[in-house]
Amino acid sequence: MTMVTSVPNAADKLDTAAGRAERPVLAREADATYWMSRYVERTENVARLLLASMECMIDVRDVAPALLEKQWRAVLRIMNVEEPAAPADSTETFADAVASHMTFDEENPNSLVACLTRARENARGIREGISSDMWEHLNRQYWAIRAPETRTLFQESPHELYKESISGAMSFQGLTDQTLPHDQRWHFAQLGKYFERITFTCRVLAEDTGMLRASAADVSFRNLHWSTVLRCCNSHEAHRRANPGEMEPVTIMAFLLLDPSFPRSVRHCVRMAKESISAISAEVRPRTVDPAERILGRLQAQLEFTDAAEFLAAGLAPRLDHVVQQTALAALAVQKGYFLH
Amino acid sequence: MFQQYQVDGLFDEMFAPGGSPRGHYAAVASRLANLGGAAFMRRRQMADLAFRNQGITFTVYSDQRGVEKIFPFDLVPRIIPAGEWRTIERGLVQRITALNLFCKDIYHQQLILREGKIPADLIYGAKMFRREMFGVRVPRDVYMHVCGTDLIRDHAGNYLVLEDNGRTPSGVSYVLENRVIMKRVFPALFNDYRVRPIEDYPRNLLHTLRYCAPAHADDPTVAILTPGIFNSAYFEHSFLARQMGVALVEGRDLVVENSFVYMRTTAGLRRIDVLYRRVDDDFLDPLSFRSDSVLGVAGLMNAYRCGNVALVNAAGTGVADDKAIYPYVPEMIRFYLGEEPILANVPTYICAREKDRAHVLANLDKLVVKSTNESGGYGMLMGHQATREERAAFADKIKADGRNFIAQPVVQLSQHPSFIDDHFEGRRVDLRPYILYGQKVIVMPGGLTRVALRKGSLVVNSSQGGGSKDTWVLEDDPVPLLAERETPLELNGVAR
Repeated sequence: MTMVTSVPNAADKLDTAAGRAERPVLAREADATYWMSRYVERTENVARLLLASMECMIDVRDVAPALLEKQWRAVLRIMNVEEPAAPADSTETFADAVASHMTFDEENPNSLVACLTRARENARGIREGISSDMWEHLNRQYWAIRAPETRTLFQESPHELYKESISGAMSFQGLTDQTLPHDQRWHFAQLGKYFERITFTCRVLAEDTGMLRASAADVSFRNLHWSTVLRCCNSHEAHRRANPGEMEPVTIMAFLLLDPSFPRSVRHCVRMAKESISAISAEVRPRTVDPAERILGRLQAQLEFTDAAEFLAAGLAPRLDHVVQQTALAALAVQKGYFLH
Repeated sequence: MFQQYQVDGLFDEMFAPGGSPRGHYAAVASRLANLGGAAFMRRRQMADLAFRNQGITFTVYSDQRGVEKIFPFDLVPRIIPAGEWRTIERGLVQRITALNLFCKDIYHQQLILREGKIPADLIYGAKMFRREMFGVRVPRDVYMHVCGTDLIRDHAGNYLVLEDNGRTPSGVSYVLENRVIMKRVFPALFNDYRVRPIEDYPRNLLHTLRYCAPAHADDPTVAILTPGIFNSAYFEHSFLARQMGVALVEGRDLVVENSFVYMRTTAGLRRIDVLYRRVDDDFLDPLSFRSDSVLGVAGLMNAYRCGNVALVNAAGTGVADDKAIYPYVPEMIRFYLGEEPILANVPTYICAREKDRAHVLANLDKLVVKSTNESGGYGMLMGHQATREERAAFADKIKADGRNFIAQPVVQLSQHPSFIDDHFEGRRVDLRPYILYGQKVIVMPGGLTRVALRKGSLVVNSSQGGGSKDTWVLEDDPVPLLAERETPLELNGVAR
């Protein structure tokens, strides 16, 4: 038996693929890639925030009911969301109302469902620019959260739902890293992810849930506050390994802001964002300094060439404000430089 | 599964009049008969889930949000023997060749009008006749690069051409995806057959697009123009862009400067040489056509007329698939090629003609009346199923604007087993093969078999409750000749 394999002739090759310049990235594609990634990151953050808050509240509930409501208001403030209308059903507690508002309410732009929907809408507009694996994964999650079974799951165990959302978002990040060439598109996805993460971490750190002041002497409340902060930022285990023993506020702040190698520390995120914008601008406009690159480069230096004592000398709040503001300026510069041609 | 199957005096694709399966269906029929309803249902659910997870959907505009729906997939494959296909293929090649010569002629010398083969007022009265195209040379003289011709079979099993979709035919992505899913959920069905592969369609399409690039582009940049994610065929646009590795652009991504077309990229403007546009003529350029359209880009027609960008299909091909001009295609074949048509038309009455109109009005209850410029199963009257009032209303419309209507006798489309509830029933089918006209004419072996899933319905359009099937064209043993034919319009001897 003879095997017949089709051998493409040279002319064929010349006609379709050989030596052609890479397909350019449309400004709209870059825009959508950035937002797709940003919304996926936000999905993960919202889920973590809700998960950590629920767990923390189980500990607080009986001891200090007044703190309960404060914590849930803090959740809304962190995500910049208006308070939901008073529940029609009087058996529903404020906590339940916030949880379902932050999970299923499509009218709330930062609910889990809304973030996932927007991530998917952006992905749908650039399906030919991302991998099928990425698209299918996101699409599956989109349909899953809309399935009636998900409501039941939420009633029975919200933890399971949030855990699934978190692992869904993280798998997406993994797929992005492993199936997309690390070219311009990937770098725009990186920017979206890291900008979102920086802002979220700063907002969590800035939030005063009242627990710190509840009773100066009560160490257990203070510890609960800080461990919730760490859980929100998925940094609990990493922090404990780096700093065994007591929960020291300054150590925790320093870890979340300045740790050189932990992927969720602000310093690390700023460095990664800076590297991505440098890669983009080197490809698109070599030999010029990109405005976003300048902002991020400066911020990176401020975070790298300092120590905790110096960095926090003027207090935490002004520092967080500064980081959030500079990140917003960098995001604006990216938008102006690449999305609005 | 087949116990209560009824042929009802129609032409059945699977079963011969005696009730036994036709030779090329025997293996599939016996496998399916032994499968059982539950097992079949499981596979169908697998297929539906795969379609949904991959987002292979079309959008239905029932409310403002638009609902994403799966195009129902009927897992019983339609099988076409090699010999039968060879005839279809020759007929389609002949037809697209004549249609291209016709477009060129109509927008240049108009020999066919001068010879009196087609009445000139029919051409000038066609909504899709684009006077902007008169005297414009298009690259390689190709107008209709992509054509999806709808074929049906009558009660005797003869293949007839129902219409030529020569503007922006859609559906080819379903053909390709149906095959992928079919292989996944029913691999065993393929064991008994050698089915001709169809996967090279995107590559052939890219060849066709690049072949028709303007002369100035050594290494042409190709892009697909889509109306955007809200268009019902968006999945297909995105699918083809992904398969070919070209950019998918919307009108807002484009800008025309000095009569060249550019796309806005992160690094500034980048020239586009070939636009595979999936936007109708009317919406291409607000300066030339509908001024309220934001789907195209201002100045595109000017760039096109300058020869700086190629449009695929060319602007103005709608004149060839106007339903009132369709009856003249056999005449075109005789006129331009000196051949007799291989595939017959469905007999058609043109309501613009007084004699035809009188006949149509007198026989409305026996005819199918179609508006000449609508598609997707809209604007038609199935005379034998309509009420007296509906017929009267249509008669008024025909009297008011005869040019806008044609009528055809009801063709009893062939039927094919479909999985309904938990068993098989016959449902009517048609077939839309896709033809590419570039350096060579390439007919995709197979095409989109659409099926009218409503019992007794003759309308297969997806907007009217239609579904689709995987379509198998069988290989001859030994491997048959490739369906290729040199285009008669080739200008400069490009090496094959």
